[in-house]
Amino acid sequence: MTTIAAHAGKDATDWRAAVRQAAEALVAAGAASADYPEACVRMVTEHGPYIVLGPGLALVHARPEDGGNKVGVAAVTLTTPVAFGHPDNDPVDLLIAFCTPDSDAHIAALSTVAKALASGLAERLRAATNDDELTTTLREALPSV
Amino acid sequence: MGLDRPLEVLTVCGVGMGSSLMLKMTAEQALQALGVDARVECTDVSTARGKQPDVVIGQDMHTSELPDLAPVTVTISDFLDAAGLETALREKFTAQGWLP
Repeated sequence: MTTIAAHAGKDATDWRAAVRQAAEALVAAGAASADYPEACVRMVTEHGPYIVLGPGLALVHARPEDGGNKVGVAAVTLTTPVAFGHPDNDPVDLLIAFCTPDSDAHIAALSTVAKALASGLAERLRAATNDDELTTTLREALPSV
Repeated sequence: MGLDRPLEVLTVCGVGMGSSLMLKMTAEQALQALGVDARVECTDVSTARGKQPDVVIGQDMHTSELPDLAPVTVTISDFLDAAGLETALREKFTAQGWLP
């Protein structure tokens, strides 16, 4: 079962703070170790802002060996969007973070998230006004994985 | 070349396990809508260099590093836009003679 965490309406000063908040939710939920958030920031500084994979949406993650203990998915919405330096998809107000213990364990959960995003999940997550609503919306998108 | 075998499609990103997996789902949806038989694999840019796909799909920052890898390269910025990807693939596949 995928570990779920969500925080609605967070304040982040810049993309680094936003990435850390999304990844910290996975740490707090027990799915990732304490080093994971900084590894997620490094992923962007090393590989560029490609994790911004759609308008306003960033997919935060690092590698399994960076501290993924269980399969976890977290969603964070921002009150004020932040720029990642992406040529087309900035600014970002929704971050989905995931972690995985190996290079395959997350595939079912992430594929399910991708399908849900294709049918309006991003809008439903953005519409959530508190952590409970956001958690429920994310859980509904991942019913069986 | 006609479509006498499944197309080998690569979706690429920096690490090959997050964004490119999302794009794989979108690509499978677009290819299905086109009625094109294809095998889609997600990978990182370095691993992609060692492969010989028919189609490469990714963001500009990655496809620009793989200019001659495949006969068809599609650059998109929205990895969740299956309809947009379908349009782009249709145009390129038609130009290749893979679609009427």
